[in-house]
Amino acid sequence: MPTFDELTAVFRDVFDDDELVVTRETTAADVEGWDSLTHVTLMLRVEKRFGLRFKSAQVASLKSVGELADLIDQLR
Amino acid sequence: MTDHADTLLAYVRAHHPRSLAGVEEARRLDRARFDGYAELLLGWATRVLGDQAIPRTVDAFVRFSSDVNLAQGRYEADGAYEHKSYRECYEAVYADRETMDDYLWGVYLTNFLWVHHLELSAFFETRFVARLPERARLIELAPGHGGWGLVALHRRPGTQLEAFDISPSSIAIARSLAGAAGLADRARYEERDALAVEAAPGDAVICNFLVEHLEEPARLFEVIHRLLAPGGRAFVSGALTAAQVDHICELRRESELVLLAEEPGLRALETLSVHPQRTLPRARFLPRSMAMILARREHA
Repeated sequence: MPTFDELTAVFRDVFDDDELVVTRETTAADVEGWDSLTHVTLMLRVEKRFGLRFKSAQVASLKSVGELADLIDQLR
Repeated sequence: MTDHADTLLAYVRAHHPRSLAGVEEARRLDRARFDGYAELLLGWATRVLGDQAIPRTVDAFVRFSSDVNLAQGRYEADGAYEHKSYRECYEAVYADRETMDDYLWGVYLTNFLWVHHLELSAFFETRFVARLPERARLIELAPGHGGWGLVALHRRPGTQLEAFDISPSSIAIARSLAGAAGLADRARYEERDALAVEAAPGDAVICNFLVEHLEEPARLFEVIHRLLAPGGRAFVSGALTAAQVDHICELRRESELVLLAEEPGLRALETLSVHPQRTLPRARFLPRSMAMILARREHA
């Protein structure tokens, strides 16, 4: 499955919204409830889904879904 | 009296929107105290860091908070803190000066930007600092950024502070803040392992969030007992089931901290355990910060 499709599935699970649509440009400002704690929850779920481990500096600096997708592809 | 608070919030809103809810939550809890700390602590930081004070400290705070939440998530998954020794923490965090400086500036604002630490700061000031004797001689172990001891000096003119920290970054930042606060003539900082401090006993001892970084936490309380003059009071805080990259002593219950204090002959007069308003989903651990006001048992 392409990275972005898998990532969308993770977002829908974390935010409990089967209709959620994310794009590369989506940021926290676009998704209700995407605060600092939810962001870490998201990162931990992404790690589990993709079999990765982020460095802490990577987690804090991510601003958009596009940046996250690129990082996943880099680490895979 | 809200310039720094308003500027801080505007910066968080513009640059760290994910962190805004948490910061606003702290301000709603106690706006007067939040704004007061913003003026005080950011005022001092501005005299040290200039125009870059708010970006520098807030960016570091956001990185630190993110690191803490990530560490807590890994703790939930693994059931144990990541590192087990001072040596591992030294290599991961302490060895690099830039990393340590960022870490300390990141922690600096948690005293009021974390809602539960705003409660802790209020407890420190109202139940400990306000009750210090006139012209008290304070000893601070592991001051880190130096903020706790400097707030005590600021609130109680006439007090003197001797502080000891193992980190050169800590000594440098604390000294610079003391100078910025106009307190350099009353605050002396020495680079030394807190467990190796030899000093005349003080009227009060302050030791915040050191115990969870130690391989032998019991030794810390032996040192505090030795450094506390008869009739004096100590303010000691620690983390319980709260992960961080350099936490190695996993304390799970408030009673463990109290028992550690009692072992060498201290007695808890007051305690306060605080926790964040929100945790990770389905968390098994509630991260807490606990503070104790201690006295020597024979003088409690």
